[in-house]
Parts: sequence; structure tokens; C-alpha cells
Amino acid sequence: MAKHKGRGVSAIEYPTGMNQNGDPSQAWIKIKPDGRVDVFSGTSDIGNGSKTIQSQIVAETLGVPYDWITYDNSNTDSSPVCTGTFASRATFVAGNAVLKAAKQARERLLDIAAKELEIDPADLDVVDGEVVAKGAPQKKISVPDVAAAATWTYGELITGTGAQLNPYAAIVEPDTGRVDLPPHAAISYAACAAEVEVDDETGEVRVERLWQCFDVGKAINPTLVEGQIEGGALMGLGLAVLEECYPYYPSVEHRGSEFGSYLAPGIEGLPEVNTIIIENPSADGPYGAKGISEMANNPQPPAIAAAVYDAIGVWVTELPVTPERVLRALEQKREPRREGRAVIFDEELSVNTVAAEDSRFRYEIPV
Amino acid sequence: MKAVGARLPRYDGVAHVTGRSTFVDDVRIPGTLAVKALRSPVDHGRITGLDTTKAESMSGVHAVVTHKDVPLNSYGHLSALGIPADEPLLAEEDVRYKGQPIAAVAAEDEETALAAIEAIQLDLEERPALFDMRKAADPDAPVIHQWGNWYPHFEAGFDRRQIRKGDVDAAFDAADLIVSGVYRPAAIEQCPLETQTGLAVPEPNGRLTIYSCTQALYFSMGVVAAHLQWPLNKLKFVGGTVGGGFGGKVDTATETICALLALKSGRPAKWRWTREEEFLCSSTRAAWHIEITDAVSKDGWILGRKTLTLHDAGAYARFSPYGVTKHSFHHTGAYSIPNLFFDGYCIFTNRSPTSAMRGYGVTSVSFATEMHVSRVAAVLGIDPFELRLKNANRIGDTSPNWVTYTDPSTVPTIQAIAEAIGHELPAEYRTATRDQREGAWLPEHLVAQLGSVEAH
Repeated sequence: MAKHKGRGVSAIEYPTGMNQNGDPSQAWIKIKPDGRVDVFSGTSDIGNGSKTIQSQIVAETLGVPYDWITYDNSNTDSSPVCTGTFASRATFVAGNAVLKAAKQARERLLDIAAKELEIDPADLDVVDGEVVAKGAPQKKISVPDVAAAATWTYGELITGTGAQLNPYAAIVEPDTGRVDLPPHAAISYAACAAEVEVDDETGEVRVERLWQCFDVGKAINPTLVEGQIEGGALMGLGLAVLEECYPYYPSVEHRGSEFGSYLAPGIEGLPEVNTIIIENPSADGPYGAKGISEMANNPQPPAIAAAVYDAIGVWVTELPVTPERVLRALEQKREPRREGRAVIFDEELSVNTVAAEDSRFRYEIPV
Repeated sequence: MKAVGARLPRYDGVAHVTGRSTFVDDVRIPGTLAVKALRSPVDHGRITGLDTTKAESMSGVHAVVTHKDVPLNSYGHLSALGIPADEPLLAEEDVRYKGQPIAAVAAEDEETALAAIEAIQLDLEERPALFDMRKAADPDAPVIHQWGNWYPHFEAGFDRRQIRKGDVDAAFDAADLIVSGVYRPAAIEQCPLETQTGLAVPEPNGRLTIYSCTQALYFSMGVVAAHLQWPLNKLKFVGGTVGGGFGGKVDTATETICALLALKSGRPAKWRWTREEEFLCSSTRAAWHIEITDAVSKDGWILGRKTLTLHDAGAYARFSPYGVTKHSFHHTGAYSIPNLFFDGYCIFTNRSPTSAMRGYGVTSVSFATEMHVSRVAAVLGIDPFELRLKNANRIGDTSPNWVTYTDPSTVPTIQAIAEAIGHELPAEYRTATRDQREGAWLPEHLVAQLGSVEAH
């Protein structure tokens, strides 16, 4: 009996935005008389950090300090439509909505500043909360003074609205799956390596190290995107070796009803996680960003299961890779069936074995 | 000062970790009633009797609702995409999973509400259940859904999602080796710290304010408005700060029933699911069954692929047809495989409906495809990094349904991982790029699949 080390690798891709699109997000912005900025968006923050990310996009686009931004997503009376926080869309789709709203508010701001400075708005820029003349930075007016002038001198409200909608991509050939438009807002990419130690006596798989590289397009907030990737790694670890609603699936018996009987990852099993971020900007994302939040738990399970094979020479293709499954696989040491050119693994799991003779799910493997 | 690219602290991070953020259960409105539900005790059964009169007459009980109280009891989550409704808000004739809601009570406190649930007379005739997707098309399988055992409403009446690309038979004829395997990722629970919680408050002006932990305020408001047959201006959803969702709070679990009870009782009604309800009655990530057969050349090109996917939707469709379609669009993972035959079925079983969870539809692809590619590499005796880099999608390649990849980073991300772990690659793989194919990177079998980069 011994402990065996192994390594595995994976490479994945994942779409940003709802599949087939058609998922609008809208936002609006108003500027208070002292230049402070209220952002109204309907994006729920589920811990993904979208309040922060969208506020950063607005601050950058308007040219004002981040702490001037108030972000309100609290109710549907004041906030406009956001299809929702899912499909990795809050940064890309909803982020583009607040970006457009901020651009429009910036134009209104420059219109008022242009009157105050008597300079064409095209020759003005906003830097750190001040509207300055391009090439003549001594000619300037603060954003608070512009907002005050709008309110008390011109009788105007500086606002901006924005909406992002990637049009619905229809399936025009249901037999082949062809679509008439790209069915996603963007696609993100990642690769992962896992190092495991497998105990062939207990069947326990310890994930010791993970290396993960994500192309995020642009890290709007590197701390938050690293948090997504590391948090995702922990969920991926759960998928790989711990979690299952039905321990004897497809049976529904012994379903865990509390944290004591449903194993989810905890801090004690946390492997060393090494994160590499690369930035190949997306053509359409806000500041080049893509959505990577969901895919963050996708690359670990196959890298870990491949590392288990590297360690002990057996493939476990039913998740999670529990000690029981590892021990059974070691005991059975199943070899694939070879026939002609074909190498056929997992026949015992296949519909060709389990389904009735005349089931429509059965199929032939060319040999 | 640059805001984009800055490591700014999370907007509400300190409030969250010091317990000062307001979540739905923190909202206290005087006079709020507690909600509990009567849920199916069986996996599959026919309701032969439902009598709530005793519960309604109990002291401290202010309202009981059944399907008769819902103006539109069945509303499809994907009706906007033309997918019809199959799931009642409250069960009518039958129950199809253990934990399915049948009736709900609003009472002075949770104890009284639970006692009232106990007092509801429910008669059931238990029926045979289906749990194994692989047996859904067996002649002796019980038929458990009004549409049959798998979803029949894809475009043009298709009862499965198909992908067909290239000439798959020619690819298998040309193959040196054919590798087949089966991959089964499990159903898992989203495990948010905050369980499903909703609070509906009748306002003096006739509106309803609904405090919600939804991941999608407008989506959930649309669902409630549809069930009530109300215009949107009579509803106000309050939320936006959610104690974890991971996909599990896209389904609208509590809000409509709270609304019905609030309207019937004239009092605010709050429903907070127990951890046990969260684990046993909420939607889960689906279990998937994926069979892949690849046609490969001895030097490691994947020439073609046949795939059968069975998706365990549980008792009702919810978002599952969407998940199967997304899965099909991405079923080759990060690789350019030019000849494809894919059939994906959305199978109904007698377990909790499955729905969105982080990576919806594609987490299963990542596992199946990557395990299979690792196996192909092992069978051929080729380095798994090299096999991946060889077949990696590149700019100008096309997806399973002919969408051109404009900015794939499969090659650079694999190279970065190889370098990070000190895995030495031969020069041709170390210097490979994601750029459009040419020379040795453009073998004959990948010519016909090339798309037009300019078109996008």
C-alpha cells in the first residue's frame, strides 16, 4: 500500500452572455449638484462583485474618482432591466450598459463645461474629476462646478442612459444546429494543471496543487477576478472529489439533507492554487473584458481525474472521484475492449449495455 | 487615477463580512406571517384528495393556498423563447418529485404554520418512478411527464438537440483509431449560505413589494406578474444583494407563493426555506451522461466525433432545454473537430427539477471532452499537452455550428500552464500561436471547416 503522485491537464472554453443572446441589460446615471454620481442598474450582486466592477467602469468612463460613485441596484422602481446575474454576463453585458450610460452622461457634462469654459466640447477631457482643455490644462473647471452650474445656472439634470442587447441568434437549421448570428457575446479560455496524491489503501484523492491560466480579456479589478478564479477552483474541487446530491445515483436514496451529510469543500482541503491571468482584449467587452465567473469551476475536475489516472493507472469517469470509486476501480482494473480499430472504454456504463435492446438511445461504434 | 485595472476593495465587502449587509431575512415588517409548504412525500404519485378546511380553521392561520388560488398556475420559465409551460406552481393532478409544493400556509409563526400543514388532508396514489435516464426510452419505462420521457419541443418539433457538421462517416473511415468512453458528472447542490427566502408586503396603494434573493430581479418579477396576471407596475421587487446563488436563485422559488398568501391574508408573508428544504427541494445542477466516440489519426489529430448526451432534467423542464442547447454548441470544448454527429436529449426523471448552476451546460462538456482527450493521448502514447495544442481551436476555425472563433486563447493558456509547471514542450509546440492556420497547422482535414474572420 502506498501513496502515488500524478499530474493532469485540461483546456476549456466558455461563452459570455446567454446562449443565443437576446438578454438585455439597461442602466441610467444622474449627477448630483456636487458632481457625485448615482448609477442605477438592475444587476443583482450575488457575491460576484458586479457592484464594484460596474462602479469602476463608470468612474473610469466619466473620469471621476471611484469613491464619488453610488451604485443602486436595490429595486425595480428605480433600476431598469437587467436580464440577470447568470451566464457570466454581469461584467460584459451589464458592464457595457453602464459604460454606454456613462459615455452619455460624460457628453452632457462636457456640454455644460463647454459653456462655462467657452471651449468646444470636442476639445475637452475629464481627468480626475476635472474638465480640462486638451493641450491647455490650465483651462479647467471641476466636475462639481459643472454639476452645480447645470443645476443652478442652466436648470438642467445631467443624466445618461445605456442599454446592451446582443440580438437573438436563431437556430435556422434544427437538424445541424446552424445559427444566423454568433450565439454568444464573447468566448473566454482557460487551462489548468492539477497535482494529486492518491492513497491506494484508502482511495483518498488529495489535490495538492492547482495551476490555472485564464484569458480574462481585461481584468477590470485584478483582486476580484483572482477571487473568482480561486473561488471557482474550490467549487471545481468539490465537483471533482466531494460533491453529489445522490451518492448512489441514479438511486434517490441517501440524499444528503444538511452540511453534515453533503460534503462540500472547506478550507482544510484547500490546495495550493497558482493563478495566471492573461489579457487578450475582447473586441466588444467593456475595456476589453470578458466574463470568466462561471467557467472558473470547469477546468479542475478533468485535470484532477486525469491526474488520478497518472497516479494509479485507472480512469474514474463518474464524478465525484470518491474513495469508494477509486478503490472499486483499482480492484476491477477494467481494460477497454479492443475490436478492429476501436478502443472501447466504460462499456458497463453505456446505454448500449444498460438500455433495452430496442431503446432509441443505443448506437453503433464503428470498428 | 485609473479606476479600471485597480485593485479596489469590494463595494459591499466590509459590510458583508461584518454582518451589516441587509439580506431578505433581515427585513422586519410588523405583522409579518410565516409561510410553510405542504410538499409531496413521494417521488411520483396521483393526488386523489386534498382538503385544507381543517387547516384554514386553525387559530393563528391566516391563509392557505392551493393551485385553485393561482390565476395562472403553469408558467414556463422559457416562454419568451417559445418553450411551453409544463410545471404547476402548486401541484394539481399529480406530483413528480419528492418535495414538490402542493399547498402553502401563512400563519402567525412557523410552528403554527407547520401544525396547519400537518392538518391538511392529502390522499395520494403512488406511481412507479423513473430515475435512470438511460432507461427512459425502454419499452417498460413508466411515462412520467405529459410530453413523454424527454423534451419534445426543440425547433421544428425536434425531440433532441442535433449538431451535424462535415462528413462524419468519411472521418471514421479515414481514422487509424476509434476511441469511445462514457462520462458522468454528478448532480450537485448550489449550497448558497442564504437559503431561498422571500417576503411579500401588501402596500396601501394596492401594490405588492416583494423582497427577493433572486439573481434576476426583472426575470423573477416577470414570473410573479405572469402567475398573478398583473401588470409590472403593481409589483416592486427589492433585492440586488444576494447571499450566494451560483445559479440556484434564477428559479423563482418563494416569491409567487408569498405574494398569493399576502394578497389572501392582507398581511406581509415571509417564507424562509430551511437548510433541509434547500438541499432536498431546490433545483440542483443536473447529472449528465455523455458518450463520446472519436475518430483519430495515429499522429494525434481528432478527425471526427460522435456524441450522445443525456441530460437529467428532473421532473420538469425549467431551463434544461436551454442547457442542452448550450452544451451542444460547445460540445467539442477548446478544440477544432471538423466532422461531428451530436444528439442531446433532455430527459425527465422523478427527481427535483435541475436548473442553472455555475457553468450551465458546459461544465459537463469540460469534464467529458477533457477526460476523453486525455484518454486519446494515453491510448496513442502522445503527450497530453501536445495533443491539446495540436487540436486547439485557433483564430479562423469554426465552432460545432459554424461560428468563427475570433479570439481563442487555447494555445497561449496551455503554453502558460506548461511553463508554470516546468513541462517541456518541443519547439514547434512552444512557439505555436493562436493565429490563423497555415503550413503544418493546416492539415487537409481542417481546410473545409475554416470560417471567415472578416465576417465578424
